[in-house]
Amino acid sequence: MLHDLQYKLLQGIYNAEGSDTPEFTNSIEEGGALSPVERLDVYRDSIFGGMCKALAQIYPVCQRLVGEHFFDAMVTKYIAKTPSHSPDLNNYGSNLAGFIEAFAPAEPLPYLPDIARLEWAWHRAFYGADSGKPDYQALANIPERQRDTIVFELFPTVTLLVSDYPIHRIWQMNQDDYEGDDEIDLDQGGIHLVVWRDGYDMRMDVINADEWAMLELMKAQRPLNEIISYVLTKHPEADFSALLPRVIQRGCIASFHCQKK
Amino acid sequence: MLDTRHSRRDAAPNPDPLHGVGVGLRTPHFPVVLGDRPDIPWFEALIDNYMGDGGLPVKNLERVRNDYPVTFHGVGMSIGSSDPLNMDYLKRLKSLVDRFEPARISDHLCWVSVEGDYLHDLLPLPYIEEATRHVIERIQQVQDFLGRRILIENVSSYMNYKISEMQEWEFIQHIVEKSGCDILLDINNVHVSASNHNFDANDFLKGILVDRVKEFHLAGYEDKGTHLLDTHGEPVHDPVWTLYEQALERFGPVPTLIEWDNNLPTFEILHAEAKKAEQRMKRLSQHAA
Repeated sequence: MLHDLQYKLLQGIYNAEGSDTPEFTNSIEEGGALSPVERLDVYRDSIFGGMCKALAQIYPVCQRLVGEHFFDAMVTKYIAKTPSHSPDLNNYGSNLAGFIEAFAPAEPLPYLPDIARLEWAWHRAFYGADSGKPDYQALANIPERQRDTIVFELFPTVTLLVSDYPIHRIWQMNQDDYEGDDEIDLDQGGIHLVVWRDGYDMRMDVINADEWAMLELMKAQRPLNEIISYVLTKHPEADFSALLPRVIQRGCIASFHCQKK
Repeated sequence: MLDTRHSRRDAAPNPDPLHGVGVGLRTPHFPVVLGDRPDIPWFEALIDNYMGDGGLPVKNLERVRNDYPVTFHGVGMSIGSSDPLNMDYLKRLKSLVDRFEPARISDHLCWVSVEGDYLHDLLPLPYIEEATRHVIERIQQVQDFLGRRILIENVSSYMNYKISEMQEWEFIQHIVEKSGCDILLDINNVHVSASNHNFDANDFLKGILVDRVKEFHLAGYEDKGTHLLDTHGEPVHDPVWTLYEQALERFGPVPTLIEWDNNLPTFEILHAEAKKAEQRMKRLSQHAA
């Protein structure tokens, strides 16, 4: 009886029956100032309102770019299609970017899905696992003959992003404390980005394509020799003697080890 | 099965670190709380906000905990759901409990999920025998797992189920007696539900055994004309203050918390609201003595 009631309420909230009077409303006592349908509406408004608010907190720049009204209408459609599967609301909304891509009214802002990807990466990094710093002295002490086998592990909070638009600039200009020029050239060309958290400092850097490719292979935990040959094939212009130190100095490597043969 | 009446907390009784009126810890107030160390006896952490893998929120909670007693208050346990208990949630909760040793662990007598879908809202249970048995068993499982007694809170509600067989307070009292948990009595929720369902809030208070109420909550509701909505977005309303005074007379100076979520005011205003509650607590406890 309990499961039946709860399941019917769930169906009624998402209006899975497409009915004006979902079956669940038959379970509600009549009387008082509200009809059973209105009582279910109170809960639906509260549920959708709470999830809407959670998404606005995760995606504040998206909300600012389209305005509160548009954002609410857009995410309400998203929520109706996307049940939450975790008790933690911070886990909700991972695929909003994909939804925005297919959401026709958002087409005039073609960079919006990438902004959403950036905001999700930022959000996940903020709440992501803590990790220590690597021992660079130990790295320097690895014998030459073993260097090919080094596997770097990135911070668990690292997300690598690419976009056809300067999303980092759009993001920066829409922060509350932004004080700079408000000109932006949407045709300036694509960018490669890395987002992560170093200690409690949130980081977002624009990087070159060769460094991005290298970080992506590090994230996949490939050994250094594989990374070098891949990056040199894809980016013959890359200067490896400068690239590896640059990647290390970027500060998103958590640890390293030598792969056993 | 471990008998929670002889759990760790009870076996070696420590003096209750909670007294007076605390406030709910909210992210925008961290700078004031950590910077000024305001004169507040304790803070309540909305523990679901600290269940990520790491980061600044948990660090900030640790900083607060270094200086104040802290209680854990959750919304994600879904104790009344017909789904199995979410063990990942309970494991995360336990690791935070072990790390921060909260003075209370509470969640709501409600359900928030079914078939693995989370609605993130406090949905009322039908007051039926089946639900009573189900919730008692689950509270015992949770208390065994945590090695601690928990508190369950009465929720605001906007509907009654036709199948309900008893009053809300009878439902609560029955569960508390059989499961060995304590009660977090939300005074605002009693008033909101009494108004929405046209019962006497005093009947509710009288229906709850005195020695099991270990915490009060106070908050502001919004009058929607057709019903009262529990928004935690306003100061505590007069009828709730009156009911709080009646509760203090019945239950004594139970540690009390001011909850404020929507339209969050400055910390000073929140602090002033806590002082209003504290004055009532002092006046009525002296009166009782």
